[in-house]
Amino acid sequence: MGFSERGKQYLQPEEALYLMECGNVQVFYRDLPLSIQDGYERFLSSDTVTLHQYQVFGHLKRLGYVVNRFDPSSVSSTYERQLNLPASDKQKKQLKRKRSQSPVSSDKHGISTEEKTTSEAHNELAETSKLPADLQEPVHLADAPERTWWMEEDVQQKHPKTQTAAPRWDFSSISFPDLGSRRRSERLASPHRSLLPENVDVGECDVSRWLGRLNMKQEKLSRRDMERQRERDRYRRDVNSDREVRRCRNWAEYSELMEERRRRRRKHRPEHLWEREETPLTQPGQCTSHRELLDQIGIIKSSTFSEGLSRLSPSDQWKISFDVYQPDTVAEFKKSHPGKPYTRMCVCSFAGPVPDLHAVKQLSFQSQDVPVTFAVVDHGDISFYCFKDFKLPTDVY
Amino acid sequence: MDGDPAVMKVPRSSSVEVKEDMDTKSEKQATRDALIDISFCGSTPMLWKVSDMKKCRSEGVIGALVGSLARQPRQNVRLGRPLELRPEEALLLLEKEKSTAAVRLDTQDCEDEEAHSEAVRLYEAGLESSYQEQCVLALEDKKKTLNRVMNEKENGTEGSGSAVRERLEALDQSFSFPWSAMAVQLCTARSGFSHCPEERSFHSTDCPMPRDEHLNTRFSVYRDLRNKGYYLTSAGKFGGDFLVYPGDPLRFHAHYIALCVSLDEEMPVCDILAIARLGSNVKKTVLLCSPQEGDVVYSSLQWSSMV
Repeated sequence: MGFSERGKQYLQPEEALYLMECGNVQVFYRDLPLSIQDGYERFLSSDTVTLHQYQVFGHLKRLGYVVNRFDPSSVSSTYERQLNLPASDKQKKQLKRKRSQSPVSSDKHGISTEEKTTSEAHNELAETSKLPADLQEPVHLADAPERTWWMEEDVQQKHPKTQTAAPRWDFSSISFPDLGSRRRSERLASPHRSLLPENVDVGECDVSRWLGRLNMKQEKLSRRDMERQRERDRYRRDVNSDREVRRCRNWAEYSELMEERRRRRRKHRPEHLWEREETPLTQPGQCTSHRELLDQIGIIKSSTFSEGLSRLSPSDQWKISFDVYQPDTVAEFKKSHPGKPYTRMCVCSFAGPVPDLHAVKQLSFQSQDVPVTFAVVDHGDISFYCFKDFKLPTDVY
Repeated sequence: MDGDPAVMKVPRSSSVEVKEDMDTKSEKQATRDALIDISFCGSTPMLWKVSDMKKCRSEGVIGALVGSLARQPRQNVRLGRPLELRPEEALLLLEKEKSTAAVRLDTQDCEDEEAHSEAVRLYEAGLESSYQEQCVLALEDKKKTLNRVMNEKENGTEGSGSAVRERLEALDQSFSFPWSAMAVQLCTARSGFSHCPEERSFHSTDCPMPRDEHLNTRFSVYRDLRNKGYYLTSAGKFGGDFLVYPGDPLRFHAHYIALCVSLDEEMPVCDILAIARLGSNVKKTVLLCSPQEGDVVYSSLQWSSMV
């Protein structure tokens, strides 16, 4: 609970009110302690945390969950997760927080502790121990520290190079040797000087040791596999063994031949079906499995939550309020590395509308890989609902 | 604070008028004290004092407890104060003039420095006296414990009892009760020592609760059913507006699920079917209630199977 900033410990209004209700914290304002009634009336408003959100918060905290406010910028997009960047510490504490008496007549709560968001954090480079301190420069990407790809003694020269984001290589001009092909050489030429760092000289590379590790043996099939192979090959015709194909002298003639064959096949089809503007979606014998058939005749495509998301605009009515983590007995929770939350809560009430598909999609997009639960408040009663993606089975076994 | 008229020593001739005045004044005081204080958190009416909650229950208004229970805060089975009232319940209490509604105005905290420092002084004096009391009690407690230990030791072995006796005798001089070990009380409802916010009594039409058509419909139904003697609570989980009990909810199961619709509202058949199905599954009768010119018309739905 709570967070520390500039060496002082702060509590969010809902956390302070919850601790007051549990009898663990006394909040003072202008030298007088606040009662719980004062707490409710002062801390809960539509700017900070509404009464419904506080009721959900209290309910979950009493059950033992760890509940934090949701920060939209803390969700990493799918692309960032694909890159699999190392997690960076959001708030490197330079000073250890000193335990001090809470100051007597300061307003440490309530009125001024609205949201202290984790704003611009100092993203330090990964290997700080080796590099001098003046190399900490602001980073372009939101969370990722800059990776230094090589260590240098004279670092100043490397400044411009390390500042570029990702090196853009022209793969069409770089050829990778194919060591698995039949015609392979035991030696690889040394790479071009421009690809290598300074002062590094790489001679010819002897890959015979690696080639020995490659499995170049012929695959030995078992008897059953060989039989299956023979069955398949029985009906397979090599294209070049077709006499008509061999008569074709160029691509144009080949495509004409294919067209002619197609026309011949089509002659067997009934006119009233195939010669009008509307033709059937599939032909007999075209599909080999149920799934292919259903795909072809499926006019209404089923959609998932993750489709069409780029066109969604954030809505005002539906917002994710909290991240919920499982209680300490189930998983270990650390404030510095909370990890992926168990679920995210969106608070609404029975008096309001049911979330429509737009809202559900937008919230699940905002939450990426964490499921979203709707906490519905009805005069003290709280019910939890969640929407799950469901795919209709298309294969019949 | 009521002046007791019997104590006044006045000449007999004028005593009657004085007595009547005192009576009306004490009556007014009594009725003022009997009013329930509703305070608002945003637009939600809430009750904070236990006396208010008792009065409210005796009026037949149930409400729902939503806060942590002071003795066992970390569970959700039994909750404690505040008592959250539905808008209809608050309106009923205001209409019957059994309560006053008050809202703390944000902008005007008590600017009166004198009163504020007076309040601070009173609070600190209260803390000090509480501290003294607790010192005395702690000392007695410690003596009792040591006596008990001493008696046990004397019953058991000898010799070690003397150390305990010495400690007991030295206790009076050397006992100290640190300030930080003092127990303090956290008030649930706003008590006299806290700030003096500006309070304004509201007439029921001025309430910060938003009044729309649906609320008016629900309020008419609520008032009518309450006047008939039923107790009502919220029924969100049953898909309706109210759950109707023939007596106090602690003693009975609900008999009806009340759904408030206005007479000219169109209801699709699927909705009626859904609510009827639901009602039959939970063994409650569904009531469709519509206010009509001061009265309320009820239609009940019961599912009977066709054989």
